[in-house]
Amino acid sequence: MAVPLAPGGAGLAVDTVLSVRRLGKTYRSRAGARPVPALDGVSFSVAGGEFVCLLGPSGCGKSTVLNILAGLDRAFTGEAGLGPGVRIGVVFQSPRLLPWLTVRQNLLFALETSAVPRAEWEVRADDWLQRVGLGPFAHVHPHELSGGMQHRAAVARAFAVDPDLLLMDEPFTGLDEFTARAMRRELLQLWRETRRSVLFVTHNCFEACYLADRILVMSAGPGRIRDEIVVDLPRPRDDESPELFERSVAVTRTVLAAASPRAV
Amino acid sequence: MEIGLPFEPTAAGRWSGLRRRLLGPAVGLRVLSLLAALLVWQGLSLVVGARFIPGPGVTFAELWRLVVSGEVWGQFLITLERMGISFALAMAGGIAVGTLMGLYGRAEKLLDLWITVGLAIPGLCYVIIAFMWLGLNDRAAVLAIALSTFPAIAINVWQGTKAIDQGLVDMSRVFGASAWRRATRVVFPQVLPYVMAAARSGVGVVWKVTVVVELLGRSNGIGYQLNYNFQVFDMAGVFAWTLFFTLVMIVIEIAIMKPVEGWLFRWRPAVRG
Repeated sequence: MAVPLAPGGAGLAVDTVLSVRRLGKTYRSRAGARPVPALDGVSFSVAGGEFVCLLGPSGCGKSTVLNILAGLDRAFTGEAGLGPGVRIGVVFQSPRLLPWLTVRQNLLFALETSAVPRAEWEVRADDWLQRVGLGPFAHVHPHELSGGMQHRAAVARAFAVDPDLLLMDEPFTGLDEFTARAMRRELLQLWRETRRSVLFVTHNCFEACYLADRILVMSAGPGRIRDEIVVDLPRPRDDESPELFERSVAVTRTVLAAASPRAV
Repeated sequence: MEIGLPFEPTAAGRWSGLRRRLLGPAVGLRVLSLLAALLVWQGLSLVVGARFIPGPGVTFAELWRLVVSGEVWGQFLITLERMGISFALAMAGGIAVGTLMGLYGRAEKLLDLWITVGLAIPGLCYVIIAFMWLGLNDRAAVLAIALSTFPAIAINVWQGTKAIDQGLVDMSRVFGASAWRRATRVVFPQVLPYVMAAARSGVGVVWKVTVVVELLGRSNGIGYQLNYNFQVFDMAGVFAWTLFFTLVMIVIEIAIMKPVEGWLFRWRPAVRG
């Protein structure tokens, strides 16, 4: 995953882990049907150590961007270039753990095809399970874990492969609000410890304000970036603070304004 | 943490687990049911007459004679060989066709009608047609058994291939798994339970058709022995041969299929009943 996905990866600033330029994507459901533009002229970049949220209503193409960056979707126009030597780790909306492997084996499964040297696989797997609080559950199969714990395992897997950029696709959407808050807090903790870059897709304005350095507001029809909001709240942030609440109300208005009237 | 400590199977725990699988939670009830069946059998034998319903004593004595004289083993091996070859053929064809149908919509639309037709045709029809076309030989026998078993296997594998979780495949790709690794480490384990279910239903069909094949067109094997006992009206013989093979199948189920499945699918959530 160290190679650019398209020509144009070269010439990035040293500090830039990801640069997306004029990204476009059109869905053709079947021959003869009218093509549906999903993305149009999406451009942004992510700096080293930066936490960026892609925020927008469902259908705005934010997950499509992530799929392209993850290499799962190769039919696109424009450029999506990772910085030289940049490696990615992904957390999906559902944990996507292999059910026949134990939690630890799931981490090793990802490590075995990563750039991490063989000698470090086991150490890293155990270390990351400890860090997300799953140490005692290393040898348990995923179905024996609660939903929140399965997500923790997925987060540990993404960090364990030693990525420079984490792609996260609404990873906490399926969780209840209390579990989601705990997961967000832990994610920020891990992010502060490791200083990896994160590109986090969400439709939750509060979540975006709580997590991000910068929010890219997207809207549909076709998917475009309409606004960029720098969240300059000090860290660590308190998820009960009035400032955060006010900011999330303001961001909600921005998203609604960007989306209205035709796309909603 | 919100759930208890992980389940660490001890040696004793594993043994009691095995015993529970084999004997079930209500061993007493099973033994009781077995005894009741023997009693009913003996009672019917007394009422109807041993010529029509030989009692358990006579039947087991005949079975014992067949086993000790060695008569049963030669016939059993012949039947087992026919079953083995046909089963292998049916599995190979069923897995190939089922996988194709699961992966490609066109193959599915082209073939699903014919799989249903194949499933609807009685095994006996395949047997008769194969013998009429190819003559009364083992080639025809094996072909007929394989053909009548094939549709059930193809259907199972087809469903299994359709049920593959693409999300897991994408996950492994994102983390750098090659196509080979995705196929062997992510797709195959997902299809395996369906292949095992296919094998299990396949064994059942193969056995039933093999006996018919031997009865109709072969001069050896367990089906032939049943036919012989039928011709001379030796009911004890019919019972003994039937009992023998039934016992063999139960042993195969308990000693091979169940443990293998339990080991292969130990990661699955236990069914709570």
